[in-house]
Amino acid sequence: MDEQLPAYYGLPARVQFCRRCVMSNQRPASAVEFRHTIDSRKKTLAIDNEGICDACRVADHKQTIDWKAREEALVELLDKYRSKDGSYDCIVPGSGGKDSAYQAHVLKYKYGMNPLTITWPPILYTEYGYKNWKNWLDVGGFDNLAFTRNGRVMKLLTRLSIENLFHPFQTFILGQKNVGPRLAAKLGIPLVFYGENEAEYGNPIADTSSSLRDKSFHTYSQLEDLYLAGISIRELVDRYGVRLQDLMCFLPPREEELRRVDVQVHYLGYYLKWTPQEVYYYAVENCGFRARPFRTQGTYSKYNSIDDKIDDLHYYTTWIKFGIGRATYDASQEIRNGHITREEAVALVNRFDGEFPDRYFNEVMDYIEMSPEHFHTITDRFRSPHLWKQDAAGKWQLRHRVGGNGVDDQPEADSGSNRALRAA
Amino acid sequence: MSMVRVIARLDIKGANLVKGIRLEGLRVLGDPDTFARYYYESGADELIYQDAVASLYGRNSLCEIISRTSREIFIPLTVGGGLRSLEDIRQALAAGADKVSLNTAAIADPGLIREASRRFGSSTIVVAIEAGRQANGSWLAFTDNGREHTGVDAVEWAIRAEELGAGEILATSIDREGTGEGFDTDLCSRIASAVKIPVIAHGGAGRAEHVAEVAVKTGVSAVAVSSILHYEAIRTLRPRDSGGGEGNREFLQSGRGVSHVQPCQMRELKRLLLDRGVQCRLEDAA
Amino acid sequence: MSELRVQIVDYGLGNLFSIRQACLQAGITAEISSTAAGLSEVDGIILPGVGAFGHAMDTLQQRELVEPICAAVSSGKPLLGICLGMQLLLDASEEFGLHRGLGLIPGVVRRLPERRPDGALLRIPAVGWNRIFLNPERSEPEVECGFRDGQWVYFVHSFAAVPERSADILTLTDYEGIRYCSAVRLGHVTGVQFHPERSASGGIAFFRHWAAGLRKRI
Repeated sequence: MDEQLPAYYGLPARVQFCRRCVMSNQRPASAVEFRHTIDSRKKTLAIDNEGICDACRVADHKQTIDWKAREEALVELLDKYRSKDGSYDCIVPGSGGKDSAYQAHVLKYKYGMNPLTITWPPILYTEYGYKNWKNWLDVGGFDNLAFTRNGRVMKLLTRLSIENLFHPFQTFILGQKNVGPRLAAKLGIPLVFYGENEAEYGNPIADTSSSLRDKSFHTYSQLEDLYLAGISIRELVDRYGVRLQDLMCFLPPREEELRRVDVQVHYLGYYLKWTPQEVYYYAVENCGFRARPFRTQGTYSKYNSIDDKIDDLHYYTTWIKFGIGRATYDASQEIRNGHITREEAVALVNRFDGEFPDRYFNEVMDYIEMSPEHFHTITDRFRSPHLWKQDAAGKWQLRHRVGGNGVDDQPEADSGSNRALRAA
Repeated sequence: MSMVRVIARLDIKGANLVKGIRLEGLRVLGDPDTFARYYYESGADELIYQDAVASLYGRNSLCEIISRTSREIFIPLTVGGGLRSLEDIRQALAAGADKVSLNTAAIADPGLIREASRRFGSSTIVVAIEAGRQANGSWLAFTDNGREHTGVDAVEWAIRAEELGAGEILATSIDREGTGEGFDTDLCSRIASAVKIPVIAHGGAGRAEHVAEVAVKTGVSAVAVSSILHYEAIRTLRPRDSGGGEGNREFLQSGRGVSHVQPCQMRELKRLLLDRGVQCRLEDAA
Repeated sequence: MSELRVQIVDYGLGNLFSIRQACLQAGITAEISSTAAGLSEVDGIILPGVGAFGHAMDTLQQRELVEPICAAVSSGKPLLGICLGMQLLLDASEEFGLHRGLGLIPGVVRRLPERRPDGALLRIPAVGWNRIFLNPERSEPEVECGFRDGQWVYFVHSFAAVPERSADILTLTDYEGIRYCSAVRLGHVTGVQFHPERSASGGIAFFRHWAAGLRKRI
């Protein structure tokens, strides 16, 4: 019985899949990363009484939005900040992926702004990802500040994040979220634009009622409260010999800094209807963007988040911790955009979810100075018993899968389509 | 100067004509039957129907459109995407296809080419090669619509496919496909000079001149084009989109144009070819 | 107007479906059949074919179709051979040794040469559109031929017919400097090297013309 099996991370004991997309209720909402420890209990994706998840409801809501009015609001906002003396009037954080390519280009060439692009670079650049970053600037035409971090600390924190949280991307996400507001405060450019609104992906629906981020994402009051890589700042300093000043770039700007410059963080996705696949076309046509020259492991797609070699591993860890692989993320988004059917999505999830990302794995392990064997050993520590079971041959299998083909999924009085879904 | 065939290629997903860039993205452009008929009537020499997702989903769904097309359109039709066995090939031919195009299944089991060409005739079997340019200047063959590495050298594979009985080679440059940047003429030349069977160039036409260029420079026998034809057809036919259908329909519904290719009608394209000294079939308007 | 019925001989080779569709478009009801039983009942016979001459003749023999087809032709039944089907009308082919054909039109079938007159390599099979030109030695006017002079049609072949008598040649074609016979006609026996069912509206027009010929004989 599921209910008797421990569920790690505060995940819901019973696994449920959205009836419309293929996401499960095990999906965590974006954590407030600098308070994130192994004991944090996750807020997860809500699935309502009709079996529909929050993200699908948001997608429905998107159909009813008056985009003309939203665009007018955007123009009104931009009119207030648009510079008349050639100075930068907004900050677009990004890496030259399809999303930031689109954001920066549209703000500059359609709405006449003068963005300064800011890059928090990938931990380990892929060749084509780096080329896309260059093309963003050279073909798209933007000024850019790249914030290259202290590599020694980055490496340590990445390794510790994996050890303690099984979350290789924790440190990256920290920097990514903070670099925009931080540099906005330092440079005196108050307007910051990120791309899609996080609620699109199932964070609590209340976030879409305005386009400003929850301030808790980028402010804090006392350092001692904070955690990095699942370890308190205090312990990092005392036990790992890290200096406090070396950690500052991972932390949010202080409230005083933000207030001095009245930094405003907006989502462009609140104002402009965002279709990720069309953003790909836009980025190719305008900023020299190229998709990955082969399929991303763990999914079917080629143009989502392709500039960091550690990204693939990140999705492997979500597979281990939450039973959700990269194909599930990609396919769910495409269902909500009306691009594929649920049946197709199930077939893709069955085929690609959980595929081990061996292409860059050894390189990542070399970088963080961890042995692959050790990685595989600690992997099992993070499998929640309510999600995973070892079969007779000792192989780990998911108890529940969206195709109804998890090892504990009951063979119901079969309708043909259930059988077909499982066979897919 | 040898005659060149101009082939309209339609990538199809389910009920939709789609068009990607570098074999990625499934932007819906409309109803494939409408476009096929338009190309037939404007003088296309052949049609290619490619099922863009057959390998992805392990399914074949083109039989109905093949049947409909062969009832009304009397030029050669090549069908590809997800054909995995002799039986799949037989069904496609029985539905009305004249030729079949094999990629993923042929690389996985090259013997399929030999068996298929023996059973159905060499001239019925086209081997499609999706070529990805590598840093050292060579090309590797990919499968599953540009998704999977095989490690196989594309030019060597073309030679082997000919030995096994392929009737034609369809050479696609993944890097150029859908970009409008022009064909990978190096790739086309290399393959055309490596084999004696006809080679069809595919991937990259952004304007009519590109088609003339690849015809003159490379020794290919045919050129397959998509974007420049499709974006012209949309502009001219203004097909209605009832909306609510599955697929990425945002572009279609927006009614906007594109900047990365210069749309061109088939007849116009052939006139340009003749101007450039490339022989091709151009019928006087009836 | 009574319905025109034609048998497309099925001996396992060729895209029969396309031929049937083209016939339909031209007002002919075509049945696909692999037996000789119906041959005397229909208004005309179509012999399709793709592939090897020897194999095709062996198959026709095995299915006991050779005599019935020849008998039907002797009795005045119009026959249309398409592609390999045209080649089979001749006495023999030199493909992989010497194979006997149906012998309805004197002559042989030979491989297209490996090189053009200028020495460059010829791509074989010849695949694609080319023009057919009416044989000036024949007396019938263009309108009775079924084709316009210089019409575009679609070819896929590695071999070509070499009729003994030039009078039997209906059309000629130039492929990369090689001139060869692209259609034959002797009385009510017609052969076309190209694929009229894949030659757009001109091909359909040919089927209509052939159909008109069948009607005259009923």
